[in-house]
Order: sequence, then structure tokens, then C-alpha cells
Amino acid sequence: MKTTDIMRRAGRGLRHAKVRTILTALAIGVGAFTLTLTIAASTGAKAFIDQVISDNFDPAELIVTKDEQILGNGDTSKPREYDPNFGSSISGGGAVTQIKRLDQTDLEKIRATDGVELVREGVSVNAVYVTRAGQKRFVGTLQAFSAAMKPELLAGSMPNSLSGNKLLLPEGYLESLGFKNSQSAIGEKITIAVRKSIDPGLLSAQLANGANPEQLAKLSTDSITTEQFEIVAVLKKPVTAQPGTELYLYIANEDALRLNDVATKGTADYQKYPSVYVRVKDGEDAQKLQAVQQRLKDLNYNTLSVEETQKFLLQFISILQGIVVGFAFLAVIASVFGVINTQYISVLERTQQIGLMKALGTRRRDIARLFRFEAAWIGLLGGALGSGTAYILGTLLNPWISDTIDLGDAKLLIFEITPIATLILGLMLVAVLAGILPARKAGKLDPVEALRTE
Amino acid sequence: MIEVKNISRTYGKKKTAFQALKDINFTIPTGASVAIIGKSGSGKSTLMHAMSGLDKPQTGQILVNGVNILNLKQKQVDAFRSEKIGFIFQSFFVQANESCFDNVSLPLEIGNIPRSKRKSMVEAALTEVDLQDKKKNRARDLSGGQKQRLAVARAIVTEPEILFADEPTGNLDSVTGAKIEDLLFDYNKKKGVTLIIVTHDADLAGRCDIRIFVKDGLIDKIEKTAISKKKVQL
Repeated sequence: MKTTDIMRRAGRGLRHAKVRTILTALAIGVGAFTLTLTIAASTGAKAFIDQVISDNFDPAELIVTKDEQILGNGDTSKPREYDPNFGSSISGGGAVTQIKRLDQTDLEKIRATDGVELVREGVSVNAVYVTRAGQKRFVGTLQAFSAAMKPELLAGSMPNSLSGNKLLLPEGYLESLGFKNSQSAIGEKITIAVRKSIDPGLLSAQLANGANPEQLAKLSTDSITTEQFEIVAVLKKPVTAQPGTELYLYIANEDALRLNDVATKGTADYQKYPSVYVRVKDGEDAQKLQAVQQRLKDLNYNTLSVEETQKFLLQFISILQGIVVGFAFLAVIASVFGVINTQYISVLERTQQIGLMKALGTRRRDIARLFRFEAAWIGLLGGALGSGTAYILGTLLNPWISDTIDLGDAKLLIFEITPIATLILGLMLVAVLAGILPARKAGKLDPVEALRTE
Repeated sequence: MIEVKNISRTYGKKKTAFQALKDINFTIPTGASVAIIGKSGSGKSTLMHAMSGLDKPQTGQILVNGVNILNLKQKQVDAFRSEKIGFIFQSFFVQANESCFDNVSLPLEIGNIPRSKRKSMVEAALTEVDLQDKKKNRARDLSGGQKQRLAVARAIVTEPEILFADEPTGNLDSVTGAKIEDLLFDYNKKKGVTLIIVTHDADLAGRCDIRIFVKDGLIDKIEKTAISKKKVQL
């Protein structure tokens, strides 16, 4: 028999047992539904991470540290030996630790490394306060702007260079600083206050004088220095920012460095940085990037590429995805027994039809194919029902999900045709495999027995 | 020409063995109408199954136009049934869910006839049995006689050389049964097709050129009707 004729007859066989067909297909559909949503969610999550990375990082840049702990490595179970060359810093959990910073000698060594194009300190400076004439004071963090960032602007435009006390104001500050709208902020000046490190000489002199509290307080007030910054653009609240960075006030790297110097002068951390960004010449080429990484590693520095960061983040998603896929596969396995059962019953019900077809000269192979095609149709129907429902539901719920978990315009569920088509094909294959035994039974049926009426 | 030589068929093994056919021999000329007559359990159905390649007797030969069908491979037997043989059953075995057209189309599909040729062949067969206006009706909506006519159309659509009919009128009343009989004999005369009817109906058997009486797995007697006056060589 021709394949098309067998397929047509298979389809007709299923149509004659509509309810049974649909119920069996639904069993597969549950698996298809779960798998489709899982695939869509992980595609969405991956796309989101890719977006975060590409909006915030330059793929040709490496993060370089002296202290392996910054990049999440190193032994944290034992206390470190005190090193007077470095200041102290509070790490995320609140415990005080000493970070081995990169000093100017290190920067020189890194700059001299073959393949390094540019070293960017990328410092962030905690302002004592941020304010504007006639407004309250607010805390804030100044961050060196990276050329790799692609911020969305509400107003103003991005100048070639921010240097010379220009500033990008995040949307969140608008209202607090008394701006009616983003446009009215452009060209306005805001005041940034940074605390100078207290001159150890002055402090010890004061202490020697008997530590007059008023004078100590004056010393503290005197230590605050202010600078005016002009707002050149207002940043839209970024969807793809790293958490906690949406209130960063962006200024030029040079300005940030200068303020950082003001804040750290006289301390052990003066002109020393926990990490720096190293731009690799033609670093988009993974091989060149890795070569530089190796050279820096040989100099005992720790490096992290954007790709590695990405991999690290994706690892979590892969694990979660694996778990859900595992459960979905259990659903598919359960549906396999459904298909086997249905097809067995179908063979029994249609003994006479099979007998007749064999008597009329249908080959055993073609009978088996007929039942395999029926199984494949069931798989297709189940896959299409499950994936289709997932697609419709996902598309309808996407705005709500994005709203609830604050994704902005980004979508959690991204449906792509290729993985869904692959999934449906896979389910058809599973259904066919499940239909092998019943199909074989049908093929082996003895026509004389099947057509016996006596 | 069909030559049946020394056919024996045994069911079961050793103690429970039952010999359904015991060293059967006869010859049927091409174009003859033959009745195989016997009681239930006499072995007549087994004989028909053997002659049509549905069943394989343990010993003997069945030569159809000189070819021993018992020596053929399964694939060749399937092709032989598909190309050379038409079947009509007592219980019709039409597919109730399918249209008359699809019922008749089945043997053509099995025989790999291209779709373009099928339509006219199916329509010709349906016209032959006077069901041309029921083409799109489902088989379940037909009366018993119409169902058997549909089965006849299905049997003749491939223009077979041999037509086997197993109690073709067994489930029909005498008037409808007579119509089916007429249909079969007319077709037998018109196309020169060999018609082999398995029956226990003496009247039906009486209309055949040759009557083979089977009893307890043996041939009881063979009658030939002279009035046929065909140039038949036995």
C-alpha cells in the first residue's frame, strides 16, 4: 500500500474513535504542555540574561582582580592574615574582610601585558549625599560609565564623553530632586558631596589636644567636599540592569577616579582598586581573549570574562530546567502506556477489518504501518494540543507575568518554532515507539482466524 | 486452471491432531463456476482458504495457472491474493464507517493502483452491482442485500481471475440472495472469471458447472453439469 493511502486510512480510523483518540492525545498533551512552557521559560530566561549581559558588559572586556574571593573563589573558611597594605571592606553578608586590591604597580603590569588594549578602573564612589538647590539631600552612588552600556534615555542625549563633570541621572531621582519631568532636568546642575578621608596627621593632633568633641565634629564637616555636575541625560529605569544598580549616577571614568582619590587619599586603599576592567584588543575573538586571560593568570591575577559570567548564570537555569523537564518526562512516560493501551484495544476492536485487509493481500508490514501511523497521529495531535495550549496561555499571561515579577518589556516566556516543532516530532516518535507492540500484534493477526464467523 | 494435488491439512499436534483435509485432488478449469458443498466442519472452508492462499496445507500442491502457490513467499502470496483473487464473505465484512467508495477502493489501494485510475475503476464496479448512486453513503446505512452487492463490487474491482464466495447468500433472504446469485453468475459468464462458491445450499450449488461434495475432509463426489456446454476440459 502507498504511504499516503495508509496515512489517510489511519486518520480515518482515528476519526471513527474520536473520543478515545482525543483522550489519549490529551495524556500526551499534558507532557507537551509542560515541556513547551519549560522550553519557553528557559529560552526567555536565557534571552533575559543575554540582554542583561550585552546591555551592561563589553564582551571584549575581562574583569581582573588580585583577590580571588571577589570572583567567588578562594577559601573563606579560615581567617586571613592581616595585611597593612590594604584597607578593610564589608562583604555582602556583613562580615568584614580585607580585600587584596590592585595597586598602581599591578595596573602597570596589566597594561604592559600583550594584547591588553585598555584598563578601566570602573570605580564606584559612595556620595555622602546628592542634592540640588532648594531640595532635600539624598544618598547615592556614583559609578564610572562604561562604553559597553546601552542605556535607554528618557531625555537628553549621550555625549561623546562625560568627562568634565557631566552626569547621567537615573529616572528614580527625578521626583526626589524636584524635577517636574525628565526634560526639565536636562542642563540642570546637581551637587554631589563626597567625604574626604580624614588626614591622619590632623586627627592625631586633635586627639592629642584632648579630643574636643566640637572640633572633632568640625573636622568631620570640613572633610566633606562638594562638586557640581551637569545633567546631560535622564536614564529610563532599566529592565535589564543588575539588581541594585538602577539608582547609579553615571559619570565619566576620570571624574569617578578623581572623586575616589578624594575619598581614599591618605588611606591604605588610595589608588587601589578591588577589580578593574581590561579591554582586550580584538577581544570579541574568543581565542585572543583566552590568550590574554592565560597571560594574566600567569601573572597571578584572577580574570572573569563576560562569557564565563553568562555561563555561571545560565547554570542555575539549566538545573531548574532539568528538574521541570524530568517531571514532564514522567508525564510523557505515563502517556506512553495510554497509547499502548488504546492501540491494543483498537487492534482488538478492528480484528475483522485487519483480517479483511490481510485477506485482500495487504502485507503484514503495511498493517503494522497503519497502526504506527495512527500512533503518530495521536502523538501529533497531543503535541499540537499541549504546545498550542501552552502557547496561547503563555502569550496571554506573558504581560501579567512580566508585570508581576517586574520584567518591564522583557518576556519570561519566549516561544520559538524550532524547539516546539522538535518537541512535537519527538512526541510523535515516542507515540510510534509506544505503538510498536500493538502494531506488531495487528500485523501478526491470522486472517483466517480473524474472519471466522462460524 | 486450478489444480489441487494431494492436499492434506492437519490442525493441532499429536493427540489433539485433527485432519481437516485428507489427500484432496481435483481440477477446476478457467472460467468455470464451482460449488464446494459440505456440512459445517466438513473441511470446505479450509479447502477454500488453501486455494486462496490464506492457509497453508502441510502437504500437496495447489497450482494456479501452473504456479504452486504453496511454494510462494508471503510477499508473493499477498500479491497473488491482491491481483488474482476476489473474496465475498457470508458476513459481508464491509467497513460500516466508511463510504461505499472507500470500501471498494480498498483493494485498489492494497494493489498500489494510482489514485487517478481508482476513481473510474471504483465507479465501474459500483455500476456493475447497481450501487452507483450510493457512492458517498456510508456502508452502515445499506440494507443487507446492498451490503453484499457492495462486497461483490469490492471483489470485482481489481478484475480478478478467481472469485471466491463463502456462503454469499447465507445471511440474506431468498429474494435478495437470488439477486446476488444472478450477479455472480452473470459476472462469471461475462468476464470468464472462475467462480468458486462455498455453500451448503443445494439450489445455489445446482446453478454451478461443477459441484464438489466434501465430507469429513474427503471428496465425496464431483458432479459436472452437462447443460453448461462450455468447451471445458476436465
